[in-house]
Amino acid sequence: MDIILKIVAIGLITCVATMIVRPARPDFSIIIAIAGGLIVIFMIINYLSSVLSSIDGIIKFTGLNSDLYTLLLKIIGIGYLIEFTASICSDTGNSSLGDKILLGGKIVILVMSLPIITNILDIIMGLLPQ
Amino acid sequence: MDVEIIFKIAAIGILTAIVGQILKQTGKDEISTVATLAGLIIVIVMVLNLIGDLFSTIKTLFNF
Repeated sequence: MDIILKIVAIGLITCVATMIVRPARPDFSIIIAIAGGLIVIFMIINYLSSVLSSIDGIIKFTGLNSDLYTLLLKIIGIGYLIEFTASICSDTGNSSLGDKILLGGKIVILVMSLPIITNILDIIMGLLPQ
Repeated sequence: MDVEIIFKIAAIGILTAIVGQILKQTGKDEISTVATLAGLIIVIVMVLNLIGDLFSTIKTLFNF
């Protein structure tokens, strides 16, 4: 559980460092904020990898189709990346750019999940009497 | 990941600000611009390494 203390401490340190640097160089303060966010995300990802590997084991144990699980993982990863990038963009004052990045992520997720929909349609067409 | 990179970036920022001020006060405006640019590039390269690490970690973790 000490990871939450680490995350809180890194957040506070990043905030204080940005506040110190901002009057001297405002462009560096944005970069410090980006680096702090990246470090927090790295800690979360390392924490999350154990959960993902155990879920992988469960999927293998139940014998489900692992393609769908891989697709789901990819979509979750795209979601995290897009969210992170869009929030950085809106932090630096380009909130419209962040909105466009969010839209791009949504469209990529739609394109990636399209094979599932066509799969379902194929199954339904196969069930229908000729 | 290490927290040192935040302190490093903050220190480089303060240092380039001070150096830029000193160079500007001694009348070397163009050298101060170059020094500021160098600091910015160093910091951007550090953050770019972090972003590259993030991308490779996510690629391996989420089976891209």
